[in-house]
Amino acid sequence: MAEKLDKHILKNGMVLLGERMEAVESVSFDFMLPAGAAFLPEGICGAANVIADWIFRGASDKDNRQLGDALDGLGLHRSVAVGSSHLVIGASLEAGNLSEALNLYADIILRSGLEDEQFEPARQLAIDGVLSLDDNPRQKVMLKLREQFYPKPFGRSTAGSIEELKNLTAEKTRQITKDNFNLSQTIFSVAGKYDFENIVKQMEKLFETDSKQAIETIKPKPKAAEYTHIHHDGAQVHIGLMTGTVKVDDENYYNARIAISVLSGGMSARLFTEVREKRGLCYAVGARYHSLKEAAGVICYAGTTPQKAQQTLEVIIAEFNRLKEGISEEEIKQAKAGLKSALILQSESSSSRAGSIGGDYYMLGRVRSLDEIKSKIEETTVESVLKFLWSNPFEDFTVVTIGPQQVKVK
Amino acid sequence: MEFRKKILENGLSIIGELNDSAKSAAVGFFVKTGSRDETKQINGVSHFLEHMLFKGTDKLSAIEVSKAFDRTGAQFNAFTSEEVTVFYAAVLPEYLEEITNLWIELMRPALRDEDFNIEKNVIKEEIAMYKDQPEFDAADKCRALHFDSHPCGNSVLGSVESIDNLSAEQMREYFNRRYAPDNMAVVCVGNFEWEKICNIVQDGCGGWQSKGAGRITEDFEGSKKKENTEKPNINREHICLMSYAVPAQDQRRFAAHLLAAIIGDSAGSRFFWELVDKALAETAAMQFGAMDGTGVLFTQVQCSSENKIKVMDVINRIFQELGEKGVSEDELQKAKNKILSALVIKNEVPMGRLADVGFNWMYLGEYRTTADDVEAIKSVTVQQVNSLAKQLSPGEYTQFSIGPAKTK
Repeated sequence: MAEKLDKHILKNGMVLLGERMEAVESVSFDFMLPAGAAFLPEGICGAANVIADWIFRGASDKDNRQLGDALDGLGLHRSVAVGSSHLVIGASLEAGNLSEALNLYADIILRSGLEDEQFEPARQLAIDGVLSLDDNPRQKVMLKLREQFYPKPFGRSTAGSIEELKNLTAEKTRQITKDNFNLSQTIFSVAGKYDFENIVKQMEKLFETDSKQAIETIKPKPKAAEYTHIHHDGAQVHIGLMTGTVKVDDENYYNARIAISVLSGGMSARLFTEVREKRGLCYAVGARYHSLKEAAGVICYAGTTPQKAQQTLEVIIAEFNRLKEGISEEEIKQAKAGLKSALILQSESSSSRAGSIGGDYYMLGRVRSLDEIKSKIEETTVESVLKFLWSNPFEDFTVVTIGPQQVKVK
Repeated sequence: MEFRKKILENGLSIIGELNDSAKSAAVGFFVKTGSRDETKQINGVSHFLEHMLFKGTDKLSAIEVSKAFDRTGAQFNAFTSEEVTVFYAAVLPEYLEEITNLWIELMRPALRDEDFNIEKNVIKEEIAMYKDQPEFDAADKCRALHFDSHPCGNSVLGSVESIDNLSAEQMREYFNRRYAPDNMAVVCVGNFEWEKICNIVQDGCGGWQSKGAGRITEDFEGSKKKENTEKPNINREHICLMSYAVPAQDQRRFAAHLLAAIIGDSAGSRFFWELVDKALAETAAMQFGAMDGTGVLFTQVQCSSENKIKVMDVINRIFQELGEKGVSEDELQKAKNKILSALVIKNEVPMGRLADVGFNWMYLGEYRTTADDVEAIKSVTVQQVNSLAKQLSPGEYTQFSIGPAKTK
């Protein structure tokens, strides 16, 4: 089942990646634009969300409505995501409409209208997005947690800050868009049914320029406080905690992933068993791996009613600590089965593959094959995972809570 | 794609769609039971029971069940709605038989008192979790208000009070009535061997007794009542509208789906251009909910308190214009394009396909290929959508909204 990776680099450095899938009629693509929250200047937190909306409000010879109608006319399903490093815009659609869709996306990226009158609603929606987080404490706690955990500015809120959004002007945002839509740092990935030769020809016409723009680097600043509580008179205390671990390019990456699966991979994993099954403390509890190019961690969430919050936090931290004391062969076997099966199930979806190959290239400078990932997972053993945990224990937690009551950390 | 089916003597349906080119297979146990099949006294039992199935059987403890799932690397879960309880798993083909055997065992659970009492806490935590998400709270209350005395208004989760009062004995009685083979279907899609799965289900479930569990499916127009509440700890207005639509069994369901997309798809719809694009509301979306013997058009809007009156004026105007002028050929074509591509993309993955094959069987007792549904959507005409819009009058809705408390 070895899949073939298509790759081409335009003169300006823009990377084109593709993975052809024989069993599907659809195609999905992503443009990873280097305009994520962390890569924008200080003092305009949330600008990436304004840009993500504004660029769709008319491009080239089409006004707002005409552009929306043209996209809808192709039956494509848009995806827009603001991350730490990238603003990712993409779509899934029937394969026959790919070429027309790419023409429209080139207009959006290179020739967006960015008109003054369309700026205000784009900014207002970004502000509303931040305000609506108050009504979704679970999402809010995770955003705040990443902000507190990662060195500045990498954890910067992808939703934004109301104050800074209010100060944003159309002129400033236009300039940031121009500065950050740097094709030399843009990755285009496509998966599903397509002809790569045709894509390369079309992309050369649409995106090839001679000039290669300089690549900026950011210096991280130390991270913030260890415990943050936000008061909210809700029904539950929403607990987020995070501890550092190795990045995707580390030789211990797969040992870390297995360790996290033992903790919270399946229903028999330790967190679910100890927190929910044995004690009935929570409905939602889970931990997963979370990585940026600059740093990585294990991110954990639990929501529970106030009188159980302290115990919930203590049981979770005890489970993190207990990992290095011993892991059974059976646990490792299950963790491997879970990771391998998730990998293959996701590989059936074109949008998931387009996202994965683009993400791999950004993180590692290359795309891992499914076989490589599978064999690396296979290579891990009880000994290798424990050895990793002894030298990289899960300790020093950044904790954020939102709810009617605080918890005691340590 | 190849379709296979077998009905056992006790009424259990086994449905299969085979696809050799898939890398995985998915299996689902579809039980035709949900909150609409409950009385007030046992409200929440269907959903609680869904949790209890994972607690094991006379032979398997809860932890043994969890380990049995995890050994296969399955992606599995279950959900309960007003009308159905579905247990499903996606696996690599070599694990399908093992996982199907496991589900079969779990369909005859021990329902131990001790597990019941611990799980009660988890259910109450789930209720608390949704309390902190006002859009879910508003949707639940809007449904209750719309369906009034009709059982489709019953809350899936139940209330803290109804869960506290529920006994394990009441759950066992409900289980015995509802989890009968003639009220269930086993559905399998993707890469698998039909004969093998059929034999496993025959061996494991052939001895189950049918119970003739039925359901009252009265149609219901909706109460059209309007209520607003305030909560001190929230920021946005969460407005839900619900109005009558055609049932899942009605041929006009395709036109209803298209109508909802024209009015309220998340992008490119009338709601989108009039409300979201203009930043009057951050979300405004309408969906068609096809149900057993009835149906709803359901709208969810989120906006600021300052904009609420304006937003409702715009929505009412959109409904009025729809009644007067109907929809255009161009709008219909765009809605078709979006719905068709979504349908095709979703059905490329066995897990996505499982839902469509299963629900078509539950509601229609019929197997439909993706191509059948594509054809049905393509053939809907503007006249059909407009005539349906007139019959449904979406402007006559039930409304429930939750917003921030006004400071005086």
